[in-house]
Amino acid sequence: MEIFLQQLTNGLAVGSIYALIALGYTMVYGVLKLINFAHGDLFTIGSYLGLTLLTSLALTGRLGTTAGILCLALMVMGLVALIGALLERTAYRPLRQSPRLSAVVSALGASIFLQNAVMLIYGARFQVYPHDILPKMPVGLFGLYIPLVKVLVLVAALVMMMALYLFIQKTKLGTAIRAAAIDQGAARLMGIDVDRVILIVFLIGPALGGVAGLMVGLLYGQINFTMGWVYGLKAFTAAILGGIGNIPGAMVGGILLGVIEALGAAYLSIAWKDAIAFCVLIGILIVRPTGLLGERVAEKV
Amino acid sequence: MNKFLRVTLAFLVVGLVVWGCAKETGPIKIGLMGPMTGPWASEGQEMKQVVDLLAEEVNAKGGVLGRKVEVVSEDDGGDPKTAALAAQKLVTQKVVAVIGTYGSSITEASQNIYNEAKIPQIANGSTAIRLTEKGLKYFFRTCPRDDEQAKVGAQYIQNMGYKKLAILHDNTTYAKGLADEAKGLVEKAGVEIVFFDALTPGEKDYTAILTKMKAANPDAVFFTGYYPEGGLLLNQKKAMNWPVPFIGGDATNNPDLVKIAGAEAAEGFAFLSPPLPKDLPTPEAKAFLESFTKKYGKAPASIYSALAGDAFRVLIAAIQATKSTEADKVGEYLHNQLKDFAGLTGKLSFNAKGDRVGEVYKVYKVNAQGEFILQP
Repeated sequence: MEIFLQQLTNGLAVGSIYALIALGYTMVYGVLKLINFAHGDLFTIGSYLGLTLLTSLALTGRLGTTAGILCLALMVMGLVALIGALLERTAYRPLRQSPRLSAVVSALGASIFLQNAVMLIYGARFQVYPHDILPKMPVGLFGLYIPLVKVLVLVAALVMMMALYLFIQKTKLGTAIRAAAIDQGAARLMGIDVDRVILIVFLIGPALGGVAGLMVGLLYGQINFTMGWVYGLKAFTAAILGGIGNIPGAMVGGILLGVIEALGAAYLSIAWKDAIAFCVLIGILIVRPTGLLGERVAEKV
Repeated sequence: MNKFLRVTLAFLVVGLVVWGCAKETGPIKIGLMGPMTGPWASEGQEMKQVVDLLAEEVNAKGGVLGRKVEVVSEDDGGDPKTAALAAQKLVTQKVVAVIGTYGSSITEASQNIYNEAKIPQIANGSTAIRLTEKGLKYFFRTCPRDDEQAKVGAQYIQNMGYKKLAILHDNTTYAKGLADEAKGLVEKAGVEIVFFDALTPGEKDYTAILTKMKAANPDAVFFTGYYPEGGLLLNQKKAMNWPVPFIGGDATNNPDLVKIAGAEAAEGFAFLSPPLPKDLPTPEAKAFLESFTKKYGKAPASIYSALAGDAFRVLIAAIQATKSTEADKVGEYLHNQLKDFAGLTGKLSFNAKGDRVGEVYKVYKVNAQGEFILQP
């Protein structure tokens, strides 16, 4: 039982990061019906920007740990959101009227471009976050050892996801995003500025992806320019699992994928962990082709 | 039109022949295939630094057979697919021999390409046993083999009195081979294997694996994978408050391991390795360390870059002795005539399979400052 709970918390921590990244995929897909393949690289950029800002501005030294990290997270979110918006402007908006395949190719190109840009700027070697930024002490909870950082990451991720959910459901802008996701033409006729909605989606998604990158840096310490690929793939899977285009679906899918991975590793085989996770995905898609919470049948990309 | 085409073709052929002949007096091209990018970039970049430095020294002395040496380096990205492309590129560039590469799976992907093109390949870090068991005529390596590494590892585990051992590999050619070999040896010695599984390289969170391993309650963990994952494992084990001793294979031998894990988490980590550059007593090693430090402002950190340097030096020696760059002559010389060559990493000879003979693995331990200390 103790091991089960320990593995469950391991899975929740990994899953909450998958969920944050998955939100970016699912929001863009919901509005544009486009898989933004460059999203994983925005995640990488988030972790690298976090490292640069952390070491060059010495925020935690000046503001204390809590305020420093919060300030850092906001700066990373802002900067990555800006890059996301820029990406939309340069790589996707010119192709808005073209066949969807062109936009997908453009997304793949943007991904390769961003990955290599990070490599050229920061180098191909592993970069390492300072080890003494966050207190490493574990929290004892029901006889479990859980590093405090992991609890914080989980809580932060949940808070951000709740905030996003409320924003989408309760505000006027959120309603506009939902409207544009259902039918862009009709939304435009109702006086919604669809271009602005898309811009907002490309601000929020990358901001969440970027902050996930920062969390990975703070949590695991080691970052490299190719890490967006693995995380992007997992998050994309999570988005499909939950039903792509559906925001609560991405959260559920991400956390579920993390937990399946951890429990699969614990009770079956570690080497087969990914195979187990993908078998579950296939199983769910056979029963529910639209994903767990998805309503519409996903259109072909 | 037809005539024009024929004339053009004729010119082209003549041009190519003339160009080809001109090449014979041009520089001798030696290929270097290494992981310049990817997870093992720090290994590949240092390999290039070492080989470039040695080539400069050779050229400063007038080159070989009156020709300059040119190092053509290609990036294998630490990835078998990229390596196959890199190998094909080097083959088309008509290199006379190739040095590299680091990872065994990566070498394995390129071995046949070089062998078919009759280009001798001297690997510097690929220790997997089966690489030299295929009967490839032009394949050599300056590093030792994993059966010897497993022997030294098993001996160390017995000496330390560990009774229950967990073995973790990463399913690569090297890590799986070493894990299997070590498993057989320690089991024979009466050590119980309580855990044997593989992780997925490239991930960040290995706590699920560590939790599972902890439940098996081993006296020690033998990790046969590479340093990026090794560093993360040490770091996360520390965060879990699990004080079990970790032992690593020679692929954890890179200072980046300590950088990733943090000195505190890495302290006490023991690993197997051929002696590091700083612990080599030979005059060649000392001279090499000096000139490397002079050129790059720091001492070489990895043993594998020094082994790449040795690959370059035996190659130059073979070309000089046979007065030829032909694969058959160079290969024959390396197999049979090169005996006790004074290398940067000790005495070098190759056996009929292309393996380096002699030379033993040592045990190293990380101290509180994160330095690698040779164990007596």
